[in-house]
Amino acid sequence: MANEELIYRITRAIYERLGSSADETAVEQLVTDIYRSVEPALAKNGAGSNRMSSPTGPSSFGDAAPGEGSADRLVISVFGMDHPGIVAGVAQILAEAGCSIVDINQTVVQGKFAMVIIANTSGARLSVAELKDHLRAEGEKLGVHIYAQREDLFNAMHRI
Amino acid sequence: MEYTQAEILQTVRMTEMEHLDIRTVTLGLSLRDCARDSIESTAERVREKIGRAAGQLVSTVDEIGNEIGIRVANKRIAVTPVSILTEGATGNPVDLGRAIDEAAAAVSVDFVGGYSALVHKGFTRKESEFLDSIPEALSLTERLCSSVNVATTRAGINMDAVARVGRLIKDAAERTRDRGGLACAKFVCFANAVEDNPFMAGAFHGIGEPEAVLNVGVSGPGVVNHAVQHAPKDLPLHELAEIIKKLSFKLARAGELVGREAARRLGIPFGIIDLSLAPTPVPGDSVANIIEAMGFERAGAHGTTAALALLTDAVKKGGAMASNSVGGMSGAFIPVSEDAGMIEAVRAGALTLEKLEAWTSVCSVGIDMVAVPGSTSAETIAAIIADEMAIGVMNNKTTAVRIIPVPGRDVGEMVEFGGLLGSAPIMAVNRFSSEQFIRRGGRIPAPVHSLRN
Repeated sequence: MANEELIYRITRAIYERLGSSADETAVEQLVTDIYRSVEPALAKNGAGSNRMSSPTGPSSFGDAAPGEGSADRLVISVFGMDHPGIVAGVAQILAEAGCSIVDINQTVVQGKFAMVIIANTSGARLSVAELKDHLRAEGEKLGVHIYAQREDLFNAMHRI
Repeated sequence: MEYTQAEILQTVRMTEMEHLDIRTVTLGLSLRDCARDSIESTAERVREKIGRAAGQLVSTVDEIGNEIGIRVANKRIAVTPVSILTEGATGNPVDLGRAIDEAAAAVSVDFVGGYSALVHKGFTRKESEFLDSIPEALSLTERLCSSVNVATTRAGINMDAVARVGRLIKDAAERTRDRGGLACAKFVCFANAVEDNPFMAGAFHGIGEPEAVLNVGVSGPGVVNHAVQHAPKDLPLHELAEIIKKLSFKLARAGELVGREAARRLGIPFGIIDLSLAPTPVPGDSVANIIEAMGFERAGAHGTTAALALLTDAVKKGGAMASNSVGGMSGAFIPVSEDAGMIEAVRAGALTLEKLEAWTSVCSVGIDMVAVPGSTSAETIAAIIADEMAIGVMNNKTTAVRIIPVPGRDVGEMVEFGGLLGSAPIMAVNRFSSEQFIRRGGRIPAPVHSLRN
């Protein structure tokens, strides 16, 4: 993730919390403060991304180079009719499997629910196949479609 | 988020709804070190080697497909042309074919290719015997596929071989009469055969290839079909080509990811990615439908050769940008029985054998999975092959013929092969004889543009 994008997202989050009438100078100052406080952590993890280093095992690529997508991350897409408990249901499965959520984006348009979660599986207690089985079962329970695909697939297809 | 919602949606739609899949991961395996002085001991070593080299192929590839989230439809093996293994061996080559077939079944691959001979300039004594064994080998096995290369741009066309292939196709059909001539669906005749092609029935492990190599065939007519269907009807053709090119890039990149991961886990070098739009009988997963979506009432109408040329070229360009390991055929396949749109076009009278032949001058391979009446003579089949070989040789491209003279059936009837091979309408052939031409035999000399040194 480019740093500009992080700055943009911090700014957006502040405006969402304080409303669009918030004082512009104060917001700018807040963004600068927050960015400076997270910058050392970013530098340590490399290039502004928070990819985790993975344990070296036969089923992982190890560290993904920046811009290659990670074999340790799953992009989980959830689609269906909106009702309470979808986010909680999916998050519960991930928590039980020992996966952390790296990024999450959820929208509801005209009653249709769409969510994309990027999850880090490097510390997972389950294999990807087992995790996918759990997600599939949860999807059936919640009445939504859940697809889980490795992040490097998206990188391969959509980045030159 | 690192990817936009549109990018994520597009990927999910392609893999879940538009049948984007890795059509095949094919292990190319050299069997040259298995050759002994008898077929029996060669067969024993071949069984052992295939079991050892491919034992983990299916499970590993399936696991990767599940993890990455893209289906790998077929797992296959391509071996050294068997005629080379039998060159110094006593015994019946069919026994070796059966051993390979059994070894393939034991490691659960769906097809094994390479019961093949390269005779574009002439036959050795053993190759001549080997050719005679092909119909029996195909009729007694399930997974074994066979191919014969009868022409190259450098050598010209071996018309003696063409005539023999015509007869062997008739023989193979007759031996599997009760199954609609199924053996012929596992046999292909080539000009300029490709050594690293992962697709069947024509895959074999070429003699310039390493010990073992993993080649990947990516498909995705459904994806391209969806995009062309949804493009504005008045979009100029060069912009349509651009859309197809960009999609092909994405397909090729997905394929390469799976291929490289499989190669790494299996400890086998990655070979090539073959990006070929290979249709399946599933509705929408059709090359004919893509062509129709460009603006035709039916595939086979005038102008469809131009449309197919645009399609093949755009696919190749997208693939070439995506990977520096693009090989095999790469383009679009036009197998009649495996493409629901093609079958409809034939039944509607829009698509004829002659138009298919014209298409093959711009598609990536040739006349594929075409069923003709059982009464078609060996000479007419040889003549169809000769035409196709000439297109390949003169245009410096691979062409092929996979044709089934279905015993006891006539024009308008259907024949069912099952599975990926689909069902085919019996197509009409020209009723005038080519017999005298084929009987001449000899060689059609290499074209002047073969003199390139």
